[in-house]
Amino acid sequence: MSIGSGSKAKRETTSGSQNLQSFSRRDVLTGTVATITCAFVPISSLRLARASSSNEVLTSAERQCLEAMVSRIIPADLDGPGAFEAGCARYIELALGDAYQSLRKSYSSGLAALDDRAISSDGKSFASLNTTEQDKILSDFEQNVAVGSYSDSAAFFELVRRHTLEGMFGDPSYGGNANFAGWDLIGYPGPKMFVSAEMQKMNAKIPRSRMTAKQLTHGSY
Amino acid sequence: MAPTKLPKTDVVVIGLGAAGGIAVLPLARAGLKIVGLEAGGWFQPEDHLPDEIRNNVRHWPHAVQKANQEIPTARVGRNGPALPRPAYHPMMNGVGGTSLHYWGQSWRLTEWDFKLRSESIRRYGASAIPAGSTVEDWPVTYQQLEPYYDKVEYAIGVAGKAGNIRGTLDRAGNIFESPRQREYPMPPLRGAGFSDHMGEAAKRLGWHSYFPPAAINSVPYDERAACLYHGFCGSGGCPFNAKSSTAVTTIPQAVATKNLSVVPYAHVIAIECDDHGRVTGTCYLKDNKEYFQPASVVLLASYTYENTRLLLLSKSKAYPKGLANNHGQVGLHYMSHVRSGVMGLFPFALNRWYGTPAQGTSVDNWSDDNFDHTGLGFIGGGNLLVPMETKPIEAASMPTFGKVPRWGSAWKVFVRENAGRWSPVWSQISTLPFEDHFLDLDPEVRDPLGYPVCRLTVGLEESEKRAILFMQEKAVQWLREAGATAVDKLPLSPIGLSTHAYGGTRMGDNPETNVVDRWGFSHEAPNLGILGASVMGSSGARNPTLTVQALAWRTGEHLVSEWKSIAV
Repeated sequence: MSIGSGSKAKRETTSGSQNLQSFSRRDVLTGTVATITCAFVPISSLRLARASSSNEVLTSAERQCLEAMVSRIIPADLDGPGAFEAGCARYIELALGDAYQSLRKSYSSGLAALDDRAISSDGKSFASLNTTEQDKILSDFEQNVAVGSYSDSAAFFELVRRHTLEGMFGDPSYGGNANFAGWDLIGYPGPKMFVSAEMQKMNAKIPRSRMTAKQLTHGSY
Repeated sequence: MAPTKLPKTDVVVIGLGAAGGIAVLPLARAGLKIVGLEAGGWFQPEDHLPDEIRNNVRHWPHAVQKANQEIPTARVGRNGPALPRPAYHPMMNGVGGTSLHYWGQSWRLTEWDFKLRSESIRRYGASAIPAGSTVEDWPVTYQQLEPYYDKVEYAIGVAGKAGNIRGTLDRAGNIFESPRQREYPMPPLRGAGFSDHMGEAAKRLGWHSYFPPAAINSVPYDERAACLYHGFCGSGGCPFNAKSSTAVTTIPQAVATKNLSVVPYAHVIAIECDDHGRVTGTCYLKDNKEYFQPASVVLLASYTYENTRLLLLSKSKAYPKGLANNHGQVGLHYMSHVRSGVMGLFPFALNRWYGTPAQGTSVDNWSDDNFDHTGLGFIGGGNLLVPMETKPIEAASMPTFGKVPRWGSAWKVFVRENAGRWSPVWSQISTLPFEDHFLDLDPEVRDPLGYPVCRLTVGLEESEKRAILFMQEKAVQWLREAGATAVDKLPLSPIGLSTHAYGGTRMGDNPETNVVDRWGFSHEAPNLGILGASVMGSSGARNPTLTVQALAWRTGEHLVSEWKSIAV
């Protein structure tokens, strides 16, 4: 895949994801290429996974609900993007079609319970509520406040929280951590192939390497 | 359809991991013909990516096809609640097994560990042994195992600094270790900023800190590269072959003799025996075909859970309750390291992002019998360890120390500031076997072939709780001395599936209470040897692998020297 064809790939594959466009592939590429000094990475290897139509696993209502949920787990703020902008919902949807297939049902029932709860208390879907109302419902889920016949609310909350953190802080090739937003958030300087004693000092200033594992290692061994 | 019968071999080894991968070397060097049946495949350096999702979160999804189909179940007590069944088996299938991605910590146990029952009774009286514990002295002493520790340290390559060479103490090493005959083959892994900082804090407390030994090259060794400290070592394989896995050390050496034939992706389903109780070989599946591999001797080396399960599944006229189980001992004396960790939050950046967990700093003042236990209500103690290397998902999954909720805007601000400012202090506690902790076959849960999976019955004994709390106080003291402003202790809870699982086929002289003899061979089936931590009668206060490997080498060497009487 060439840089030219890749840069035109659409990334707004999940509904309501216009915000994602501000983190375009070109940004990613520019950022990455600028930090490569040792030519580990041929440009052709750069590719961020994303949910294409063939990877859609959730219904559109489920996806909206999930996007709203991850947005509250790690909200966007003045200092930077949140989980939604970083692609955590996309990460989760890709995983549900792949390594987490067995959790598909947990997601349908959990997301349905979230919407049920929103509709019964506020008459709207979870995604349509304001953030204060959303946070109240999520807090109830976290505390395992029962929702009708659904008794797994705390377990579901923990599951989505864990997967949101995976998407936010994991390798970007799985569809999350767009533009390395998660690594920037916590000051993780990125994977390296060699770390000197100097770089392990407590006050070391480590240059950030904006590369996925595959980009970093491609051709190096 | 009857299985395809293969030509007979001298020895078949079930599992080429940390244990089986060691035993094959003395056997191959002696000229015995060995077939090594391994449930996984060969891994190459390029398989080892610095990818936390693959290695740590999804646990090598490409590499545990067999293990993930037979994840044991666990319950607390005989009638107690089930523990959640994890989605992944913590151990790995592959040539080299979990030594491909372990931390590489390679400690010796101490003299005390091998005779802790009699030593504790001698020093503290008979009541020192907790009620319900089935612990015995080991049938092997430290002195008897010492030459094998040495052989393994040099064969695979262990980096460390000796603290006691033939009784001469050196404070640059661990002064609490039992005497060794010579120095490690490599100097220890280098210190890192934060581990050195913790080492200084330990000194201020009057404790002795040292660099923990690691099966990782600190300098080039045996034509393999030195560690590049790039991180992704915990649950990650080494792309540079600097980790001394059996996959890149003893197994290739054994293959080079042309006496070891490795059969990858071989799924062993039973060990066969004759009417006289001698084992005759193993049945395995490969590429949807069933094979029977006849052998003069079988060495079972498939990890603690599968060792017990395969024996219990291998029923016959000679062994109606499972192979080598006519005394009903298979599955008993099970234990795993109880967990005692404390997280500390610091007001400055620690820079633990890189390096390797075994690179940290360690303290043994509170382990084994290095202090007076009078009135404490437990024997043994814990090795304290501060590991290097944290990865971003792990770092952000930090405890919140009661300061903020676990999600939302305040949490985001909190992790932005603190994800790089916390560290665990881990403690592995000497754990004992108890009557009520055991392995058997799950009456309900089965693998896709229809065989029951292994079931753990576990608990947390009062003496163990006291040891955990004691060690947590030491960890808190250490963290506070180093400048931590908040601490978070792991809750007391029984342990389910573990990478430090012991027992089930315990080694001892008494066949009424042990499955294998002092050499690792079954008391009942004389040509069946068993390798792994399943033969260990107590855990010790540190990682099991080097002891497992020393025992495996010793069993292999014993088989060579006693070949005529064992193989008949």
